Amino acid sequence: MTNTTDNPILELDAIDTFYGPVQAHFGLSLHVGKGEIVSLLGGNASGKSTTMKIILGLVKPAAGDVRVDGVSTLKLKTPEIVRLGVGTVPEARRLFGAMSVRENLLMGAFIRNDKDGIAADLERVLTLFPRVGQRLNQQAGTLSGGEQQMVAMARALMGRPRVVIMDEPTMGLSPLWVERVLELIRDINGQGVAIFMVEQNASLALQIAHRGYVLQTGRIVLEGKAADLLVDTRIRDAYLGGAEAA
Amino acid sequence: MTSWFDHTINGLIIGNIYGLLAVGLALIFGVSRLINFAHGSVYVVGAYVGWVAVSVLQTPFPVTLVLVVALTAALGIVIERFGIRPLADAPRIAPLLATIGLSFVLDQTVQILFSPDPRSVPMQVPNWRIEIGGGSIGLLDLLIGGIGITAAASLFAFLKLTKWGWAVRATALDRDAARAMGVDVDKVNRIVFAIASALGGVGGVLVGMYYNVITPTMGFEATLKGIVAEVVGGVGNVPGAIVGSLLLGLVESYGVALLGTSYRNLFAFVLLIAILVLRPNGLFASHRQLPPEPMTGTFVAPSKPVRLPVPLVAAAAALAIALPFLTENGYLIQTLTNAWLYALLGLSLTLVAGTSGQVSLGHAALLAIGGYTSALLAFNLNWPVWLTLLIGGFAAAGIGTLLVSPAFRLRGHYVSIATLGIGEIVALVILNWESVTRGPIGVAGIPPLSLFGYDLYDTNAIYWFAFALMAALALLQVRLLGSHLGRTLRAVRDDDVAARSFGIGLKRYKGLAFAFGGFFAGISGAFTAHMYSFINHETFNTQISVLALTIAILGGMGNVGGAILGSVALIGLPEIFRVAAEYRILLYGIALLLLVRFRPQGLLGTV
Repeated sequence: MTNTTDNPILELDAIDTFYGPVQAHFGLSLHVGKGEIVSLLGGNASGKSTTMKIILGLVKPAAGDVRVDGVSTLKLKTPEIVRLGVGTVPEARRLFGAMSVRENLLMGAFIRNDKDGIAADLERVLTLFPRVGQRLNQQAGTLSGGEQQMVAMARALMGRPRVVIMDEPTMGLSPLWVERVLELIRDINGQGVAIFMVEQNASLALQIAHRGYVLQTGRIVLEGKAADLLVDTRIRDAYLGGAEAA
Repeated sequence: MTSWFDHTINGLIIGNIYGLLAVGLALIFGVSRLINFAHGSVYVVGAYVGWVAVSVLQTPFPVTLVLVVALTAALGIVIERFGIRPLADAPRIAPLLATIGLSFVLDQTVQILFSPDPRSVPMQVPNWRIEIGGGSIGLLDLLIGGIGITAAASLFAFLKLTKWGWAVRATALDRDAARAMGVDVDKVNRIVFAIASALGGVGGVLVGMYYNVITPTMGFEATLKGIVAEVVGGVGNVPGAIVGSLLLGLVESYGVALLGTSYRNLFAFVLLIAILVLRPNGLFASHRQLPPEPMTGTFVAPSKPVRLPVPLVAAAAALAIALPFLTENGYLIQTLTNAWLYALLGLSLTLVAGTSGQVSLGHAALLAIGGYTSALLAFNLNWPVWLTLLIGGFAAAGIGTLLVSPAFRLRGHYVSIATLGIGEIVALVILNWESVTRGPIGVAGIPPLSLFGYDLYDTNAIYWFAFALMAALALLQVRLLGSHLGRTLRAVRDDDVAARSFGIGLKRYKGLAFAFGGFFAGISGAFTAHMYSFINHETFNTQISVLALTIAILGGMGNVGGAILGSVALIGLPEIFRVAAEYRILLYGIALLLLVRFRPQGLLGTV
């Protein structure tokens, strides 16, 4: 699965980002190969969520380049980046709470115009998430946290993405739901979709990832195969906040 | 004797027209978090497009309607593109102020093109009436009702069944998440402005047909009514806006039936304030508390204020004092007297809106309270004018603060709406309380300004008096801003949650700001009343409130020197260059638009 020989599906190249005078990224570089699961690990204020915004074009970097399958996205608006095949599962789900589950799923297919294809994908996604199928006409905001996470993942798939970026997909879920969500992420990946996930919970994220990066105060301090990182003692150090001042 | 049935029909028809406005306001608020004060102006444009179509082009009604929809939708797109979108990253209150500027520009343009005189719209519908019970329904009533219902049904079909309708709803619920789904939110805004403006334009045509008359100034009231209906239904809630509109129409219609036409607006604004205080999320919301976040953010753009060197200020003051000796031009002296009085108003608003962050849109009411108090005491009781001036100041401080106090728990946009409503209520009470205020006739023959027993008739003497008052109160305000109180007010403005967590009682400090501001404005209003010797309910109107805000923004919010400079620039310059009155309002609108866009920190910077 770790096929990184041709163009990576997602690539961040020497990114510097600023919020006013505060620098959030210092020469951040990482990539996600086609069909890969890559985890970005880091504690609070390490720059994880900003990384997600950079990929989606919601924040533009001061320097560096972002490429989706070799195409630079710096000059593109968010909808155009989404059209390149980038799906999102945002932090805290961010479902459209007052809309029905079905409408949420169809919003996921907003960039598409092939009616029949969308209907077919709805069927396909519902077989992957049978639970969501039972809730189609319910308001999304009334679902439980785990169910909302499923809708968010299903919604991301409706756009036929080639890579899905997930911001803390297990946050706030009960251990039972965490297991289920991780399984589903693996299933999605099994269909050939690359996954780039940001997580605070390193051991969980590395269980299913192929590779991982550790982000600390805007810099990558560690990277490697998930199996290696899982046993690396420095991971723990990185999580304890790190001694290095920014 | 009209029957209750007729009043009900009348209320529903008026409510229907309000609904066309309120639905658009709710849609726009939903996706842009913006209260569009230019909405009523689009409705005026719609009414005049309709008038041109019917009277000049003589189109049949369906063609008229299509023309209005097309042109107002296009206007909505232009407003969104050039008025609103450039301010996407500005503080929330900035686009609101821009829409106020736009409304001035649109209203005045219509007035310049079509003259301020009312125009009658030829009837295109046969005047058939169907008798039912004790009342009757006309064909026009049915037509207006039918158009309202059709418009609502089409809108719901669009929102529920179409892809871009979902996009509109999704953007309203979560803008960033909608973008992450690939929605072009700029396009959503454009669609929403087009739909909202077209609905407003149709409302304008219908109101012209219903009342048989249109004027270029009817837009502001329409905006206000739409806002009231929207607040009643819950800001941003489209079905709520429809129900709120019908409710408002009925309340007004029954109120007029009970008390008379001049009470119509009083009912509307009392309803507004009651809802804002009791259920700020509208009648249908489950939460009574406002969501804290989206409404916060003041207009005070961070900047380094220009420090005026003391010698320069002293020289300017000396020049101002010496001016009557240097020129024989009485007109210039009178103009500058006016500028000093507006500077007092600007000082008041720059304290309330700039230093304390409560963007008041009803500041003219404070002038009115001060003016009427002083005028009536001097006129009826023959009290000395220096004393009534002072009492006018205190009355404005006391009454003004008391009236605004229910709004102290509100923030951001809601403060602006509430103060606007309170300002309108004050004007309407003055209009209707005839036994005291003489209603629309006004108070004439107000005793002249006097000092130490001498009446001041001399232009120069009045000039010096106004300047002295203004300078003294400006110095007082400088002291105030440097004190503990000034720091606390700025803390309340910048982050009221943090301020509260340091033990600052918000209500007390907002009250103090309004009290000081009220005193300044009250003195200014009282002075004006004695200087003109005549006032009525229209002397201190909403345009003056907006002008005051423009003065404060031009000078730099919170900036004492800026308020004076802003007043001289906006009051003095147009007068000196003899700009005609209708172009002057246009100029104010353009000034406000340009300032908000290009120099939100004003000439001298915010403090």
